[in-house]
Amino acid sequence: MNPKVLAAGLLAVLPLLAVLFLNLGRDPHAIESPLIGRSAPPFALTPAGGGPAVSLESLRGRPVVVNFWATWCVPCFQEHAVLVQGAQALAPGVQFVGIVYEDEEPRVLQFLEQRGSTYPSLMDPEAKTAIAYGVAGVPETYFIDAAGSVVTKYVGPLDSRLLAALVRKTRGGT
Amino acid sequence: MVPALGRSLILLSLFLATVGTMVAFAAGRRPSAGGAAWTRRFAYGFAAAMAAANLLMVWALLAPDFSVGYVSQVGSRAVPAWVAVVSLWSSLEGSILFWGLVLGGYIAGATWVSRDRHPEYMPYATGVWLACGAFFAFLLAGPAQPFHTVSPVPADGPGPNPLLQNHVLMAIHPPFLYLGFVGMTIPFGLASAALLAGRLGHDFLRPLRTWLLLPWTFLTVAIVLGGWWAYEVLGWGGYWAWDPVENASFLPWLTATAGLHSAILAERKGVLKGWTVTLVLATFLLTILGTFMTRSGVFNSVHSFTQSAIGPTILAFLAVALLWSVALLAARIDRLSAEGRLEGASRDGAFLVNNLLFVLFTFTVLVGTVFPLVVEAVKGTQMSVGRPYFDKMAVPIGAALLFLMGVGPALPWGRATGDQVRQALLPPLAGAGVLVLIGAALGVRQPWTLLTLAFGGYTAYVTLRELWVPLRHRMRARGESVGRAFVEAELRRGKRRFGSYIVHAGAAVVIVAIAVSSTMGSSIEVQLGRGESVQLGRYTLTYLGSEDVAEPHRQSLVASVAVKRGGRDLGTLKPRMNQYETQREPIGTPAVRTSLTEDLYLSIMNVGPGGESLGLLAMVNPMVGWIWIATGVMALGGLIALAPRRRSPAAAAVPAGEARGYRAAVGSTR
Repeated sequence: MNPKVLAAGLLAVLPLLAVLFLNLGRDPHAIESPLIGRSAPPFALTPAGGGPAVSLESLRGRPVVVNFWATWCVPCFQEHAVLVQGAQALAPGVQFVGIVYEDEEPRVLQFLEQRGSTYPSLMDPEAKTAIAYGVAGVPETYFIDAAGSVVTKYVGPLDSRLLAALVRKTRGGT
Repeated sequence: MVPALGRSLILLSLFLATVGTMVAFAAGRRPSAGGAAWTRRFAYGFAAAMAAANLLMVWALLAPDFSVGYVSQVGSRAVPAWVAVVSLWSSLEGSILFWGLVLGGYIAGATWVSRDRHPEYMPYATGVWLACGAFFAFLLAGPAQPFHTVSPVPADGPGPNPLLQNHVLMAIHPPFLYLGFVGMTIPFGLASAALLAGRLGHDFLRPLRTWLLLPWTFLTVAIVLGGWWAYEVLGWGGYWAWDPVENASFLPWLTATAGLHSAILAERKGVLKGWTVTLVLATFLLTILGTFMTRSGVFNSVHSFTQSAIGPTILAFLAVALLWSVALLAARIDRLSAEGRLEGASRDGAFLVNNLLFVLFTFTVLVGTVFPLVVEAVKGTQMSVGRPYFDKMAVPIGAALLFLMGVGPALPWGRATGDQVRQALLPPLAGAGVLVLIGAALGVRQPWTLLTLAFGGYTAYVTLRELWVPLRHRMRARGESVGRAFVEAELRRGKRRFGSYIVHAGAAVVIVAIAVSSTMGSSIEVQLGRGESVQLGRYTLTYLGSEDVAEPHRQSLVASVAVKRGGRDLGTLKPRMNQYETQREPIGTPAVRTSLTEDLYLSIMNVGPGGESLGLLAMVNPMVGWIWIATGVMALGGLIALAPRRRSPAAAAVPAGEARGYRAAVGSTR
């Protein structure tokens, strides 16, 4: 046994293993949002096609999934089907809300007519709500618990497995 | 039915590898012909079970049989047959299954080649290989199951990651990467066996070096294919970004290259045996670290980490392999004692400096890659180590290695007199001068690029001289023609030497091409209206218009740009912007016009409403094509050095006699 080799080897190997171990489960893609754990910025927006304004306040008491999307966003097409299905399956325990990002109302209405919807899509003039949430691009989805604080956010198109997992996480937080 | 059969094959391979490991270690401790034979049978059995499981999966992907879990994730009725086959390694579970196939193939091959040689090492080596095989079979049996049953059976599947369907290089790059990565298991096993046996004889250094050189050749090609793919598909104009995924493949390449060189010293002089073994162990450990870093995501997604459940399992394996290696080295390194001694100012010294530089390079890249994790673990904040760090470190080390590639082979072995050194080192300065003058005439002003040209010219001179000397010697001594002397001196007798210098020639061109292409290019970013033109160097680019193309998995915007050079019409280039359904950001696919001197590279930045205007990134990248060509030369050199030697009758008698002696000693019945 060569104690020098052993010591040098362990000195190189153990810190490396420790660092790797501590980083297990980290998602380098997750973009930290300063909103996580804080109360979600309030909004009161009119649905596409008109009608009474929907406010976040009025939805309190159950988890809310807020999805920012647009008709010019190709990944949103595929995600839309996932969200429509999810909203239907999880109703009425979880409320889904779409917020349209930088888009025109007639296009939005046409999109919703063609593809159907099971939850309201709200128009966001001048993107004020998107700015308040710090939306960097679409699609982006915020998960808000029953008490109104942001539990997590997801960047990019959701699939059904991910959606279910994040809703579960949101419910667990209440 | 198919899932159950697949699971049975995985369990069979797990059983064969586990029992085989135990049999092999028992046979290593108490050598017997029977034990060795049974060890080999388990190795072949493991390889066969893995091959069968892979064939079954390919069949299920082609069918497609959506009751198989992996097929339901990546299969699709809509994809062509070649995409279906490529899907085997397009996602996590399948890529581990493919790993098993490659590992099985290597184990069976290495076992067969040494079937009646090196009896004191081989059972241990096979035991280590099968232990690794058992780990991957375990992954397939539990954490990364490709053959789980899906019920109810879906009617269709999503198909593999669309990005991987983008370019045929993506079908070639992963298999090469696997052949490089997985192949490092073989020298790891051999090095472990040398430590377990407590000796590293001269006869055993040859297989060690050969089995290091084979995956090294694959890895070299794989790394460059990855860069080529990024260059042709991702549209940012470069081929290397020091991304962790890229570093993951580069790190083991560095230590393997160092190991190939120190093995030469060990073979010729009987020194640096423990060091060589350490480098070989480190190479394998870095492949596992790389696999952990990407969580097999190199193959699963492009330039990004993929979250998967096998991370902790691979980390556990890495920990075991690291601690095993450290313990083994500490216990046995003193037994691999040096038989000779090293001289300073000679080729010996150049080899030593070479090794130090490669290890420094490895350390630099490793630190840059792991540092963000350290910061994350300690401070909890995210950060990344950028290109400037890597470039700042890599440029001087790369230049020094290029220079050493000239100095080392120029110097004589052993002790050299001052006169000898001067005679060896001064004439190649002519090569350096010529290349610098050519570069300066063509407009190179950047000091590091000029220095690289000088070193490149120096090395080219030495390399060509070293290739020529044996030829000339034979032609003079025997009066042979050039062709005959070439066959006799380079291909028959000096094949390993000849191959090495071909590799050096290729490597020198690669380094020079990297230096020139990264400092001598020009680029512009412009907004062009329809019909407008812009000048870039000698090229005139005219935007003709764009069209939308819809495909099942993506929508593309294809721009047409007419290219003229000095008034001559070079046709139309069509860069495109692809929007995949599964990706948020659109991905530009550039149009590249490659020639021997330079590439014209066009990439879309944006397109105005109705295609009226085009935001265009246009680049002229000199010498990039030479990176791909010279890598082919390096691979060719590797293959020449690897080609089996045709033995003369006198030479063949020795190993055969040794083998007979062994059989007699251990009482073989064959």
